[in-house]
Amino acid sequence: MIGTAYKSTEEIFETLKDYQKIVVTGCNGCAKVCKTGGVEQVASVANQLRDHGKDVLLEVTPERTCYINHTMTAFSGKEQELQQSDAVLVLGCGGALQVVRQATEQMGLTIPVKIGLNSVGHMDTVVAGELAIEQCQECGDCVLNETGGICPVTKCAKSLLNGPCGGSKNGKCEVDPSRDCAWVLIYNRLRALGELDSLREYKEPKDYRKMNKPRSLRLV
Amino acid sequence: MKIIDLFDKGTYVYTSEVGPVKGCVRDLGNGNTPACLQEARLLQQHVHAVNVTDNQSAVMRLGSLAASVKLKENGIEPIYQITCRDRNRIALQSELLNACSLGIDNVLILTGDHTTLGDHAAAKPVFDIDSVQLLKIAKGMTQGFDMAGHELTQAPDFCIGAVVNPNFTPLDLQLLKMEKKIQAGAQFFQTQAVYDPRLFEDFIRRVETFRIPVQLGYVLIKSAKMARFMNEKVAGITVPESWITRLEKTPKGGAREECVSMAVEFLKEVGPMCQGIHFMPLGWSDLVPQIIDATRNGSPQ
Repeated sequence: MIGTAYKSTEEIFETLKDYQKIVVTGCNGCAKVCKTGGVEQVASVANQLRDHGKDVLLEVTPERTCYINHTMTAFSGKEQELQQSDAVLVLGCGGALQVVRQATEQMGLTIPVKIGLNSVGHMDTVVAGELAIEQCQECGDCVLNETGGICPVTKCAKSLLNGPCGGSKNGKCEVDPSRDCAWVLIYNRLRALGELDSLREYKEPKDYRKMNKPRSLRLV
Repeated sequence: MKIIDLFDKGTYVYTSEVGPVKGCVRDLGNGNTPACLQEARLLQQHVHAVNVTDNQSAVMRLGSLAASVKLKENGIEPIYQITCRDRNRIALQSELLNACSLGIDNVLILTGDHTTLGDHAAAKPVFDIDSVQLLKIAKGMTQGFDMAGHELTQAPDFCIGAVVNPNFTPLDLQLLKMEKKIQAGAQFFQTQAVYDPRLFEDFIRRVETFRIPVQLGYVLIKSAKMARFMNEKVAGITVPESWITRLEKTPKGGAREECVSMAVEFLKEVGPMCQGIHFMPLGWSDLVPQIIDATRNGSPQ
């Protein structure tokens, strides 16, 4: 999922200071899992805005806001509220916001679309309901087949491909001693699998063209 | 002068290290000499070459190339350090061409400390390529080609060094990387600072078969406080508790003397196991000559 975290209340109020009538849009996909943009959080933020003197015209939570048809479906029948609003506040990732903007444009509306969250990475939930961590950078050229299923591009702070730097201490990373050194994890895993030879192979520099933004995906 | 020529002749190689200043070193005609150059001069007749660090600990300073050139102009042989932290593959290769063009004969290639450890913690870390890859690229450049396979009008010609950390656990993993560095083109190694003779001996036994010159790395320890700081904050270094206790018992004013005697005791025991010593004096460069004199296995030519 795409991880999201709240911007500060002050920042959200500052962003909305010139707008009175607000539509709050959440996302029942990733932001719901992150407890930042599900139905409950949309209601809670809407109440905060009301307490702050704003008029909330509409609370809506599309199934997955980053999917244009879900957002269009969620907005269907709500044209009036959207038309009357001064701004839309999105509780979703940066992609969700841009799909909401696209949806309003497709509906012929020109209204400011603002975001209440920061997107903080591609996250995997490793402890249900408690902890999500970043394990994949979507580098476009997956190396997991050679690294025991542990990604050095993401889990090594320096994205090293040919083994650890000298800064690891007691199996921990020099950047954050509470975090495991990715290369020690990879070594232990490959040793257990009897695949240590994989570490002896020289890994070529990555082809960063595969990560050059913005990427697109043809679905037909 | 290439360091590898000394190793090839069987010379026991002493090197030391200076960190460039945070500022310019242009001669303003006022007689002021920058600290890094003053330090290097203290070492001039005592070591074969002086490493010049590349924005060490991710703290922004004068570039290692400019400082290396200043040393060279003053008759001091520099070992130009270059890390993968701040430059992409285009800039790194270009910098290697710059280095050779400006007279650099020795290059030491490292990954580099992470940006978050330094004084510009919000900087974007680059790490476009890693140290093994840069070693291979540098070697390829000395053979006349950039990493994209394009021919250079004039190939650089330098001795290429690398680093290894004997304190690393598991050591096997560090040695796998060391072997890769050798295959990539490393001609000699300087180690991270080591303070445990048994640990270093184990390490040397394991790398003997690689048949590559190794210099023991040694950071001068100035105080118990510094030792504790290194254990907590400096990546990859461990000072044994017994050393810290000894320093704590050192009377005020005796720190420099104790620093020398601890170094001499340790280096007399451990120095003969390898092909040279690399000092990291962190400002106490004036002590290095007497430490060398007391532990000498060979003399600088």
